[in-house]
Amino acid sequence: MSFYIPIGPQHHVHPEPLLMKFKVEGEQVIDVEINVSYTHRGIEKGFEYRDYMKGIFLAERICGICNAAHTLCYTQNIEQLLGKEIPPRAKYLRLIVEELSRIHSHLLWLGLAAHQIGFETLFMYVWRDREKVLDLLETITGNRVVTAYNTIGGVRRDITPEIEQKIRKSLDYLEERTKYFKKVVMEEPTVLVRTQNVGILKPREAIELFAVGPVLRASGIKHDIRADDPYIAHDEVPFNVVTYDTCDVYARILVRVDEILECINMVRYSLDHLPSGEYRIRMPVIVRPPPGESVSRVEAPRGELLHYVRSDGSDKPYRYKVRTPTLANIPSTARMLTSRGDYIVYIADIPIIFGSIDPCLCCTGRVMFIDIEKSKSWVWTYNELVRYSLKRFERHD
Amino acid sequence: MIEALYKIIEMILFPGFAFIGVLSLLYEWIDRKFYARLQNRIGPLYAGPHGILQPLADFIKLLSKEDIIPEGADKFLFTLTPILFFAINLLLTLFLPICGTTGVISFTGDLIFFVALLTIISILVYTAGMASTNRFATIGAERAVLQLIGYEIPFMLSIVSVAISSRSLTIKNIVESQSSIWHILGPNFLAFIIFAITAQAELERIPFDIPEAEQEIVAGWLVEYSGKKLALFRLGKDVETLLLCGLGATLFLGGPLGPVVPGLEIVFYTLYFIIKSIIVLLVLTTLRALFARLRVDQMLVLSWKYLIPLSLISVLIVRVVF
Repeated sequence: MSFYIPIGPQHHVHPEPLLMKFKVEGEQVIDVEINVSYTHRGIEKGFEYRDYMKGIFLAERICGICNAAHTLCYTQNIEQLLGKEIPPRAKYLRLIVEELSRIHSHLLWLGLAAHQIGFETLFMYVWRDREKVLDLLETITGNRVVTAYNTIGGVRRDITPEIEQKIRKSLDYLEERTKYFKKVVMEEPTVLVRTQNVGILKPREAIELFAVGPVLRASGIKHDIRADDPYIAHDEVPFNVVTYDTCDVYARILVRVDEILECINMVRYSLDHLPSGEYRIRMPVIVRPPPGESVSRVEAPRGELLHYVRSDGSDKPYRYKVRTPTLANIPSTARMLTSRGDYIVYIADIPIIFGSIDPCLCCTGRVMFIDIEKSKSWVWTYNELVRYSLKRFERHD
Repeated sequence: MIEALYKIIEMILFPGFAFIGVLSLLYEWIDRKFYARLQNRIGPLYAGPHGILQPLADFIKLLSKEDIIPEGADKFLFTLTPILFFAINLLLTLFLPICGTTGVISFTGDLIFFVALLTIISILVYTAGMASTNRFATIGAERAVLQLIGYEIPFMLSIVSVAISSRSLTIKNIVESQSSIWHILGPNFLAFIIFAITAQAELERIPFDIPEAEQEIVAGWLVEYSGKKLALFRLGKDVETLLLCGLGATLFLGGPLGPVVPGLEIVFYTLYFIIKSIIVLLVLTTLRALFARLRVDQMLVLSWKYLIPLSLISVLIVRVVF
């Protein structure tokens, strides 16, 4: 006898709204239907109503945890439109904050993954040590999570020798702890049985379904925007693209843990080779780029992030488009969550398999209205959305 | 007449229901606090000194919450199971020898009765899940039964090996047979390890909290319960914790026996019982902090491949030695 169980829109492992309808038979998952459209926030439309400087703040709020990647992508786009090159010191500073926020994101994910397989102790340990990175980010940028660091033309703050010392000290601690976590993950038998051969995504499937980021690298494919299409200072700072070829959740954990170690080395290298000079070039408050379009790609902690902008010469973008890594990973998640042949997905594996793509749904919602009977589709404008939400709010109040 | 009055006092006040209630809330606090400290957290802090009243505060809070019976639920079973769950657990504590070598209730062969009622608790879990007709609860109930198939046999066998080495199925005789040396120090050490692991499954704690599995099936069989019924389940769970820790102390650590000052036997016996059962509790809590949750099929593989052969070996060793 098979029946449906819903995971979401409210489920306490995935606090973000998303609905996964699972067809199950006993403990086995037969089929899954994923609906991500619960958080449409009209962000792309929102960009068209703000000038370029205000757009930074909006880009920052697309996703709380990869905010550094989003602002980086946004500012790179605008700088490309303007034809401006940022000073070398700013490039290194951007890299340091980008990699620190990657460490933050991966540690946060490691804790959540431990929580999803019921390993509460590891969860608590990881989240305690994650505080160190947050402290570092606060020291450098002034904010713990939403850093507000990148701006058009460079970064907002410089780092002093004292801050540099502090970073090095914390990095040593983090490196030691990360190695310890790696040891725990590799040696603890209950973690091994819960993650090995779970959520398998073969390399061919990963390419066919456009997987990105650590999910793709855990399927053994060497793909990293930082190495393939270097931006900021990534062509000068050496690092290894971490890949594992067991294609399961275990590989995804190890990819992320090893990436933390790589990030620590990258930050150390950048601190050693930090160029002197200006950390930003001053820009006018109202930027008017010439007409044209630009695409910028950044390796966000969750994978490849793509921003597209089209300018018509005014002080606001004509069109802004964001393609976030979670959206790209949803099709491969559906594949991982479906039993086929002798690969069986159990109900108990659902949280960790879905969690293994590091889902961040606040940046994923898309909306389009489709009338099947009249075969017509249309999109709402920003004002219509605002009006609709206000009406809804009044009704529910 | 006096005899009957004495028995009633024993049952209701000490070492009966009132004492057990206080003790089980205390054990929940120890469990939570120690678990938190193992994870580098602070744990309960605000209610009472070091948060010692937190379990009581939680219980009272739950009592005041709205009590919802879902429309599709079997109302009779849904209401009956929390009461039975609590009542059976409380009844079983009367068998524990707390302030003497006998419990409040004691008869020949009471160990069999005790173990049989322990199994009924697991079956009540199934009834509770099935009565609420929630999909998550149904899955949780199914998992509870599957898990029961896994841990019940090694659990019984570990108790059997103690019974063999004491040559008795009466709790009183098992306690008295340990007056010279505790069972845990002899060939029954293996049985104690198996007992600790299976008690973890009986109590549905990590790594065997599969029927509840909050990350997977929300709260499993408990998901539809709220208010007073949930409070009863929570308190019943605390009593069950006390019960299994007490059973561990009784069977393996010599129960309430120890050096005593003549005339103050009751105080000393109670103190020894509490200390020994807290030691068992700390072992169980440490186990809880060490592992990730297993999947139900992996749990069955673990128990049939390793625990059952090990417990048979343990019975064999004990049979050869004694």
